[in-house]
This record gives sequence, C-alpha cells and structure tokens, in this order.
Amino acid sequence: MIWVTWRQHRPQAMTALGALVVVAVYALVLGRWTRSTFDSDAIGACLARSGGAGCGAAITSFLHDVQGGAGMPLNLVLLVIPGLLGATVGAPLLGQELERGTWQLAWTQTVPRTRWLVAKLGLIIAGLVVYGAAVTAVVSWSLSPLDQISIRTQPPQFVGEGVALTCSLLCAFGLALFAGLLLRNTIGAMVAGYVAWELCVGIALLVTGPLQPFSVTKTIPCAGAACAAASTNSVPPVTGNLGDLVNSVTQVGDHLVVNYVPASTFWPLQFVVGGIFLAIGLAAAGAAVWLLRRRTT
Amino acid sequence: MTHEVSSVPALRADRLGKRYGHTWGLRDCTFEVPPGSIVGLVGPNGAGKTTLLALTVGLLAPTEGQVALFGEQSRAQDAATLARVSYLAQDHPLYRGFTVADMFRFGRSLNPSWDAALAEARVAELDIPLKRKVKSLSGGQQAQVALTMALAKRAPLLLLDEPVASLDPLARLDFMRDVVAASAESGLTVLVASHVIAELERLCDWLLVLNGGRLQLTGAVDDLVAGHAVLTVPRDAANGALPGRVIERTDSDRHSTVLVAVPPAAAAAAIAAPPPGWAAEPAGFEQLVLAYLRRPQVATVAAGARGKAAA
Repeated sequence: MIWVTWRQHRPQAMTALGALVVVAVYALVLGRWTRSTFDSDAIGACLARSGGAGCGAAITSFLHDVQGGAGMPLNLVLLVIPGLLGATVGAPLLGQELERGTWQLAWTQTVPRTRWLVAKLGLIIAGLVVYGAAVTAVVSWSLSPLDQISIRTQPPQFVGEGVALTCSLLCAFGLALFAGLLLRNTIGAMVAGYVAWELCVGIALLVTGPLQPFSVTKTIPCAGAACAAASTNSVPPVTGNLGDLVNSVTQVGDHLVVNYVPASTFWPLQFVVGGIFLAIGLAAAGAAVWLLRRRTT
Repeated sequence: MTHEVSSVPALRADRLGKRYGHTWGLRDCTFEVPPGSIVGLVGPNGAGKTTLLALTVGLLAPTEGQVALFGEQSRAQDAATLARVSYLAQDHPLYRGFTVADMFRFGRSLNPSWDAALAEARVAELDIPLKRKVKSLSGGQQAQVALTMALAKRAPLLLLDEPVASLDPLARLDFMRDVVAASAESGLTVLVASHVIAELERLCDWLLVLNGGRLQLTGAVDDLVAGHAVLTVPRDAANGALPGRVIERTDSDRHSTVLVAVPPAAAAAAIAAPPPGWAAEPAGFEQLVLAYLRRPQVATVAAGARGKAAA
C-alpha cells in the first residue's frame, strides 16, 4: 500500500513540495527583511531598555512596514494555501477513482476497500502532518521577530504558527475526500472541499475575533491625562504587555476597565482552533470510510 | 493452478436477490456453474448482469439469498472472497498515468498470489512495452493489459463484464482467443457478460440468460441447443398440436416458424422425420438466445441445469 499510495499521489506530492519551496523562499526573504528592519528600527535595543514603554512609535512603524508591505502576501498565502493543498490531495483520492471507474479495479484486488482506504488515509495524513509541520516551521522562523512585539493571537501569526496550519490542512483534506465520495468527480470535489474549508476558516476567524473564548477583564488604576488618552490601539497596550489584544477600554473614575485577550492565550486558542479544524476534517474522513463500507448495500 | 472437475460448482447462486431502493436489480436467481466452464452471461441492458457480477466479487452484498464460489460463500469486504475471483470491469479501467510496469507493481502490492512472471511474459508476447504509459496504449492493448492483470491475480474464477465492447473486430478476436487459451491452460472458470451473442457462441460452453432481473435460461450450451428445435408448420397448426413448449412463433402468409423447447430426443426425432407438411431443423444458438431475450415473460427454462432452477 505504501508504494501504491505514493505512486497514485505523486503528482500532488510534487505540487505540495513545489508550494513548500515557493513558501520557503518567500519566507526566507521575508524573514531576513523583518530581521534587518527590526534591527535598523532599533526595536530590540528599545525593548531591552524599557520592556516596550516608549518604543511605541518604532514598533508601529515596523509593524506598518511588515504587515502593510512585504508581509501582505503571507496573509493571503496562509488563508488560501492550506485549503488548496488539502483539497488537491483529498479530492482525487475517492473522487477520481469513482469518476474514472478505476474503483472497480482498486476494490477488486485482494485488499478489501475499507482496508484500502484506511491504509491510504493513514499514510497521507502522516504525510500532511509532516508537511504542515515543515511549513509551520518555515513561517514561524520568518515571523519570529514579530512575535516579540505584536499580537500572536491574530492572523497572520495565529494561522501560520502553532498547530493551526497543520490542522487546517487536514480539515481541507478530509472535506475534499468526503466531497469526492459524494460527487464522484475530482474537480467538483476540489471546489466543494475548498468552499467548505473556507467556511471552517470563517469559524476560526470568529473564534479568534468576536467569539474569543479567552478574553478577560481587568481594572487598571490610572491618573489624569493618562486616563483620558487610553485607547484600544495604543502601543504598548494599556495592559503593558505588547502581545495583549485590547478589545475595549472604559474609564471609570480613576480606573480603566480593560477587556483584552492576554498574549498567553496563544496556545489555548491554538488548540481550540486547531481542534475545530481537526474535528471537522476527521469527521469528514470518518464519514467517508463509513459510507464506503456501507455502499455495498 | 488447475482445478479438477469436481462436484463443487465454481459458482452457485441460491435465491440470490439485490434490491436498489424499491426496485429489484436481480431477484430469485438460482443456478450452478461447473468448474472449468466458460459461461456466457446474456441479457438486455438493465437485466442485472453487472449486479450479478458485483455480487459475485463482493462489490455488493445481496439483499437476499447468497452466492458461493467453489463452495465458499461470497461476502462483501472480504479478502478471502476477493482472492477467489478476478474481475475485469466494463471499459477495462486502468490508471491512465501509470506505466504498464506500474500497473503490475500495483497488482503485486495488492495481491499476495500475484504471478509477476505470467504478467511480464504475457505483455512481452503481445509486444506491449512495460515502460509505456497506459494512456498511450491502444484500446486493444489496454484491454489486454487489464486482462493480464486479471489473469496474474491467479484467482480460479474470472469475471469479464462486456470485455470487448470497445474493441475493433480484430482485437475482439484476439482478446477472446486469449481468454479461451487461459481457461484451457489453467482450468480457469470464466463468466463473460456480453451483448455480442455471435462471439459468445464461439466462446462459451455454458449459458446464463438474465431478463428483467430474473434468470430466464441456464444450462450447457450443447444441451440447450439440443433441447430446442425450429419448426416450420402450416399457419393453421395450433400451438397445442406442436411438440414441446412454444417459445416464439412468427406467422407469415401460409406458414409459421416456431421455436419450441422439447426434450433432446424428441427434437432429434422431429428433425430426422418431421410430420408431413412440416419442416424441422436444429435451433441456432443466436436464434435461441434472441428468442428468449425478446420474450421476457417466458419463465425460466432450465434445460440441462441440474437441481433447483425450477420455474
């Protein structure tokens, strides 16, 4: 089965490796550029000196340069590539066999079809996990200067680092696999799988945004003009920690009531979002196995 | 692998039925096929031929009854069932991007009993290069590669679903000749579903006719032919006055041509010495099959079949 799986999915593997090379080259260039900008803006020195206070202008300028300029395509890549790749690998697995009639060949050899599918799924999922980890490593390296100063609980870092990217890849794969069984058509399954995956991305963006499960409220004393000047998007934020995402600031007398997402929620949030992607993807793949087993009736 | 002719049938269906939603694709099918025979499976489109083949190889599970291969019940999703039968589907599907060698490696990976020497010798004999991609082969060559894969699986039963439908006449002849040769060499039992009745006549020694999801006729080809006669009688001769059972009657101005099912001895007697004013001749295979296909209401006649295939 290892050879069969490899031979049948060689074109997709090559496409995926090609995409990895492109992403890696881009990430390398971006990473070098963020590092040199980080140094030339003297942000590192400022952080070391003050822990963030007084570096606001430098940080804002740096983030503006990165996110508005060279980093822009990365957002696009992270919001499109996992879906495209996952769907490209998942759609033909059943869709093409059914479309071209080769299922009659594949499922009448001496390996029963459920075992055939489970073996293929095991190998491909393992491959996708390794692949997702590789892309995540490259992207994380390239974005690591930002990690010290910007909000990791938001895209692009949030979708490019941690486990989110790998889980999202598996989600698209499972959805396209299932669509292939239902639609019996590769292109249709790719489109359906991709669209369904974008819906999952929508859910993930809701979870990292308006439906944030980990936001906390805390009260910070302030004085005079500082109270009036406090806003949600000051750098560093009113909570004092560069990685915190401030949702709202309300002045109550000589206190600020701040609702925010602490930087430390990066990992819990990763597991929630990754878990949603993974659950949807595995449910779809499981449904495909179940349906395939049942289809003899 | 040779199979001695034994009392265990190569293929036995027992009240086999398959329902799709509210309609029966196949119903109440009971028959036996002796090992080593080449069986023609005939029927109009939608008669249940592909359903019968899919039930046999375990791609489908029966709604009722069962089918057994060499005494062992066929089950869906079962490696032992799959090992007993090779299936060559309609349009002989292969992976188009694979080379012939890739296809064989695929076969070797998925079949413990794979006969690599047979596969390679066979394509070498056919001058099909191992390095060629499947999609660059002609239709006839693709069919031959698919047949080679089915043979190299070394299963004792070979199912062919419309194997020559897409082939030109020469490729058809070659293909069918190779099937007969393989059957003779290794004692393989072959079941061929086909619309080309003339081709089956050359090939088969056993016949299964499906019509409207039911088994209409089965038996050894020789017995079936011997058990029918074509009578030419005056038009006013009533059916009741004719020997045997009337399968098909065609009336012209003065005469009627009637295909009757009669015991072989009576058929031979009628042909040797027809009553005055009558003519009688043996039934042709194709004529016989077509007569049944045109008359789905004619219930099962199990000439030459042993056992339980009673109407």
